[in-house]
Amino acid sequence: MTNATLLTLAGHDYRAAFRNRVLAALLLTLLFVTTVSVLVAAFGYQAQLDEYERYKAAAAAAGIDTVAPLPLRALQLLRPVVEYLEIIGAVIAIALGYLSVARERGNRTLRLLRTRPVSAGELAFGPALGAVALITTLVVVTATIGVVSIGIWGHDWIDGEQAIKVVLWCIASIAYMGVFYCLGAALTARSRVLANGLVAALVVWLVVVLIIPQIGDTMDPDNQVPGGLFSALNLDKPHETRILANFGTYERVRNGIEELSLAKHYERFAFAILDVKDKYRGMSIGQLTTETRSDIIWMLAYVVVLAGALRMTVGSPAAQSGGDDE
Amino acid sequence: MIGVIAAHQLRMLSRERIFLAILAALLLMTVLAGFIGWSSHNTIVRVYEESSAMLASEGQPAPPNPFDLKPRLSLLSNMTIYIPLIGALLAIVVGHLAIVTDRAAGSTRLIFSRPILRSTYLWGKLTGIAGALVAILAASYVLSVISLTIVNGSAPTADELGRLALFYALSLAYMVLFALVGMATALVVHGRSLALLVALGIWMAVTFMVPQFTSGLRPTASLNPIVDPVSTSQQFFRVTSNLRPFSISEQYRDASASILQTAPDRAAFDGMRQLLPISALLVALGLLTAVLVNRQDLSERGAND
Repeated sequence: MTNATLLTLAGHDYRAAFRNRVLAALLLTLLFVTTVSVLVAAFGYQAQLDEYERYKAAAAAAGIDTVAPLPLRALQLLRPVVEYLEIIGAVIAIALGYLSVARERGNRTLRLLRTRPVSAGELAFGPALGAVALITTLVVVTATIGVVSIGIWGHDWIDGEQAIKVVLWCIASIAYMGVFYCLGAALTARSRVLANGLVAALVVWLVVVLIIPQIGDTMDPDNQVPGGLFSALNLDKPHETRILANFGTYERVRNGIEELSLAKHYERFAFAILDVKDKYRGMSIGQLTTETRSDIIWMLAYVVVLAGALRMTVGSPAAQSGGDDE
Repeated sequence: MIGVIAAHQLRMLSRERIFLAILAALLLMTVLAGFIGWSSHNTIVRVYEESSAMLASEGQPAPPNPFDLKPRLSLLSNMTIYIPLIGALLAIVVGHLAIVTDRAAGSTRLIFSRPILRSTYLWGKLTGIAGALVAILAASYVLSVISLTIVNGSAPTADELGRLALFYALSLAYMVLFALVGMATALVVHGRSLALLVALGIWMAVTFMVPQFTSGLRPTASLNPIVDPVSTSQQFFRVTSNLRPFSISEQYRDASASILQTAPDRAAFDGMRQLLPISALLVALGLLTAVLVNRQDLSERGAND
C-alpha cells in the first residue's frame, strides 16, 4: 500500500464529495442546526450565569458567605451538537459511503482503477481516508463554532483541560461517523442495485441509532414522567440510588439493550467527557477515560470490524459489478 | 384502470425485500411497544411503592403517585414514537418505490403508451399506496389489541377500541404525508438514491430539527413519548413557540397523546385544531405531487434513471 496512491484516491473522494449537491445540502443543514442550537444554549447559559451572580450578590449583602456552586459547565452546551452528530451525522456518513461506491460504479471508473497498480486495500481505504478527512473537517468546524459561541455569547472561554476534552470528543465523533461510512460503503458494494445498499444501511442506522436507544430510554423509570420520576417524588440522588439498587435485574436488562447500540456508546463517552452527566463532573481526563473504557473498547471494536468489512467488500472485484442508478 | 395500477403497485411492493424488512420492523415494534409499556409501567409503580415505604420509614409523607388513574391505552405510548420513526420511513420508501420502480423497469412509458390520463395514473398509485398503508396499520391495530388484552388481562372496551382506531387513522394520515414526500422527491430529483436521501433529509428536519426550534426539544428527547417542552422564558423560544402549530411531528405526537390519553395532564383531543396542520399539508403535498406527475418527463432520456 503506497502513501501516494492512498492520498491520490483520498483527495479525489474529498473533492468529489463537495461536488454532490445533496450531500452539500445535508452538510450545510447539519452545520446550521448545530450552530443555532449551540447559540440558543449559550444565550440561556449566559442568562443563568447572570442570574447566579445576582443571587450571589444578594446572598453576600444578606451576610451569607457560602453559596452552592452553579451546577452548569460550559462544555455541556455542546450536548445538542453531540446528538445531531449521533443522528444526522451518521446519515451523512452513510451517504458519503454510498456515494463513494456509487460514483465509481456509476462512472465505470472502478474497472479503470483496477487496470492500474492499485491494491484492494488502497481501493478500499483510499476513498475512506478522503471521507475521514471530510468528516474531520465537518467535526472540527462544528466544534470550533460551538466553542467560539460558548466563549462569545456564553461569556465562558474553555481552558486547556476542556480543550483536550473537546479534542477527545472530536476523535470519538470521527470514529463514530467513520463506522457509518464503512457501513454505507460496504453494503452498497455488496448490493447489485445501488439504492438497495443505501436503504439497507439506513435500516441498520434506524435500528442502531434510533430504535435500540429509544427502547433503553423509555425503559428508564426517570424518563416516564415530565421532569423526571424522582423529581416528581421529591427524592434526591442518594434516595434514588438506594431505590434503584432494588431493581438490579431490570437495570441490567435495560443497560444490556442500550449496550447493543454503537450510538449509545458514543453518546455515553461524549456526555462523560463534555461534563453533561453530573456523576462525571470533577473527574480528571484520566479518570474519565477509565470510567468510559467499556464504551471506548466497543467503539474501537466497531471501527475494526467495519473497516474489515470495507476491505472485504469494496476492495473485492465483485464491487465492480451490479447495476447503477445514478 | 385505477384498480389495475393500484393492484400492480401492491404486487410490486410485496416483492421488495427492503419494504418487507421495514414492515417486519414496524410490526415487531408494535408488539414490543405493549410489552415495553407494561414493563416500564410495572417497574415505576414498584419504584413508587418503595419510595413511599422509604419516606414513611424516615417519617416523611408519601408523595402523590404520578401514575394514578393512568389509562390502559397509555401502555402503547411508544407507538406515538414508532409511527413517526419507522412508520414514516416505511411510508417514504413506499412512496419512493411507487415512482422509481416503474421508471427503472421502463413501465412508466409503457403505461402512458395506452390511453390513460395522468390523473388516473396518480389516483391508481395513491390508491395502491393507501391500500398498502391501511393493510400495515390494520395489522398493527390487531397486534395492539392483542398486546393490550394480554398485558391488561382483559379485552379493550368499545371506547378504547374506538380511540385506538382514531389513533391509527391519524397515523395513516401522517404516513400518507410522508409517502407523498417520497413520491414528490422521486419525481423531482433524478437518481433514485439521491431522491431517497432528499426525502430522508426532509423527514429528519420534520422529526428532529423543527421540534428543537419550536419547543427546545433536543434530538434524542424527540425519541421519548413523554416530552417536556422548554419554557418560553428565553426570547428565542418566545418567538419560535408561535410556530409550534406548524411542527407536524409535534402536532402528531400531541394529538396521539390526547387520543391515547398517555399523559394525565394532557388536554382533551381537539380534532380540528390538532388535525388542521397535518390535513393542510396533506392537501398541499397531494396537489404538488399531482402537478409533478403532470409535468413528468416521459421522453426516453427523462423516463429512465
